[in-house]
Amino acid sequence: MAVPQHAPTTIPKAVVDLAGDGRWMSQHNRFIAETHDKEPEVVFLGDSLIQQLQDTNVWRELFQPLHCLNFGIGGETTQNLLWRIAEGTLDVIKPKVIVLLIGTNNFLNTAGEVAEGILEIVRLIREKQPLSQLLVLELLPRGEKPNRQREKNSHTNQIIREQLRDTPRTAVINLDPGFVAEDGLISPQDMPDYVHLTDKSYRKAFTPLRDIIIRYLDSAELPSTSTQGGLISRDHPADEL
Amino acid sequence: MKIMLAPKQRDELHNAVADYLSTSGFQDSLQAFKREAALPDFGADHKYSGLLEKKWTSIVRLQKKNMELETKMQELEREVKHGAPTREQRKPEDWVPRGPELHCLTGHRASVLRVIFHPKYSLLASSSEDASIKIWDYESGEFEKTLKGHTDTVQDISFDASGDRLASCSADMSVKLWDMQTYACIRTLYGHDHNVSCVVFMPTGDHVMSSSRDKTIKLWEVSTGHCVRTITGHADWVRKIAVTSDGKLVASCSNDQTVRVFNVATGECRAEFHGHEHVVECLAWAPTSSYTSLLEAAGPDNKGSKTGPFLLSGGRDKMLRLWDVGSGVCLFVLNGHDNWVRGVVFHPYGKYIVSASDDKTIRVWDIKNKRCHKTLEAHDHFCTTVDFHQSNPYVITGSVDQSVKVWECR
Repeated sequence: MAVPQHAPTTIPKAVVDLAGDGRWMSQHNRFIAETHDKEPEVVFLGDSLIQQLQDTNVWRELFQPLHCLNFGIGGETTQNLLWRIAEGTLDVIKPKVIVLLIGTNNFLNTAGEVAEGILEIVRLIREKQPLSQLLVLELLPRGEKPNRQREKNSHTNQIIREQLRDTPRTAVINLDPGFVAEDGLISPQDMPDYVHLTDKSYRKAFTPLRDIIIRYLDSAELPSTSTQGGLISRDHPADEL
Repeated sequence: MKIMLAPKQRDELHNAVADYLSTSGFQDSLQAFKREAALPDFGADHKYSGLLEKKWTSIVRLQKKNMELETKMQELEREVKHGAPTREQRKPEDWVPRGPELHCLTGHRASVLRVIFHPKYSLLASSSEDASIKIWDYESGEFEKTLKGHTDTVQDISFDASGDRLASCSADMSVKLWDMQTYACIRTLYGHDHNVSCVVFMPTGDHVMSSSRDKTIKLWEVSTGHCVRTITGHADWVRKIAVTSDGKLVASCSNDQTVRVFNVATGECRAEFHGHEHVVECLAWAPTSSYTSLLEAAGPDNKGSKTGPFLLSGGRDKMLRLWDVGSGVCLFVLNGHDNWVRGVVFHPYGKYIVSASDDKTIRVWDIKNKRCHKTLEAHDHFCTTVDFHQSNPYVITGSVDQSVKVWECR
């Protein structure tokens, strides 16, 4: 696959504040302040799919008790998240587990470029947090009907699965409970706007993630345990850990 | 007895049975069953796949849940029938906090990190991540005053024995002293290089002691505001400190997972306890009233060698540990919380311990039997702090849900 040396997805870039209200930077600054104050065991990084997770019941029930910080910002691309991590989001905390979901907003880039962007974020996270376990979530399908973004997301997933297979302390996880029905359609009950999730569909997709996180939290308490990289399929998340 | 099923339910059951036979490979039975139950088009619908197994497992789960609820209800019914033990029916030594709360005090605009009783008046003080301290009347539930001055999270507060002075410490790296008559800040103490996590008045009231994320413990002279001693030893953030009633020893707990005891006069480390497997969040010296129960809990062997003083600590490993400083050993462990333990306090009569946890509960532990005597679902979010009044039957708690609750003891 021909990917340029420096795909635009791999170059850290602050969001251009078109509205002029500074919301993106305010959120980044608030997250930085939180890292000075709090001691999260789990950190969530990503776009609106991560950000909106914290407004759900499944978050309150399953993830909040694990001492999580949610650093998702709506509309973000890989290059925006890269900028935030380069500018200190992970500099003063020592989370045991980091959850990453990013890339679906890079809709103007090719699958290869999006994957390059995600791999660059993984590289930077590994550099900043060598001891934490990184869980890279595969991109979810989008659009009511079969479309090229869906195809691209699944292609991106394929690349990161292959590329991260042997990365230490890094696992790629597919949380898709089957949002695409047999007729190729995504139900508005799962995704009203065909990209974001509802309270219910968050529960469907993210419930298995809790057990995976807990496994790593428990093993992180024993410093001698080394965690291998690898793939975790949604159907057998526990077996392979 | 035959249970009547609606036609739709019967249909579902038949299909589920057929699915079970099919997936288990009982092909002959499946054919026979399809014929007898008249299910010619079985197999077209996926909604029956695994349905029977699912019902099977969910029933067990529901039964378990049901039994838990039954037990809880019996307990509550007993309380209702017996008039939910009035104070007259029990000795003060057995008064423990009971739900529902007497007051839920709201006003803080961020997590509440510490609540303490005033030693004399019917007041309590609360400190919060909103950088303020609030004073409330715990009997009437009325709000009294907000103390503003810190510029960041107020981590901890402490009254002196007379109740005339309040000390506070903050993530803004300062310690402040407040006059409780005028509610004015009378002194600000600078010297720590990081977040100050704990502050306590020395029993005589002429000094305060503080601990910090800068790994040190500092002793300050109230009259001059000078730091007169810095105690080092911990390898990480010192979370909480507690001073003995004679003011001679200070115990400390830390992110380095140890509990230590220092001689206040010399700064020399008297004891170092390992056992917690995560950050140690809180600690309390055992009052002499609790020694009888503590020694019974510790068991019959070597009773003579257990001289005390005794120290209780709680940590992110969800455990409470009781240490004998005299012999340097852990006497017992209390295990039951489902998340980080954030606060511990002894019942003034010494038979119980009360602990606060991120599992949103406070638990009352029967020391002698080393078991959880009562669990109160206290808050909607992490329960960060708890205090027990020394002479009046009240317990107070604070939480990340931003509220302070007052609990009556009966």
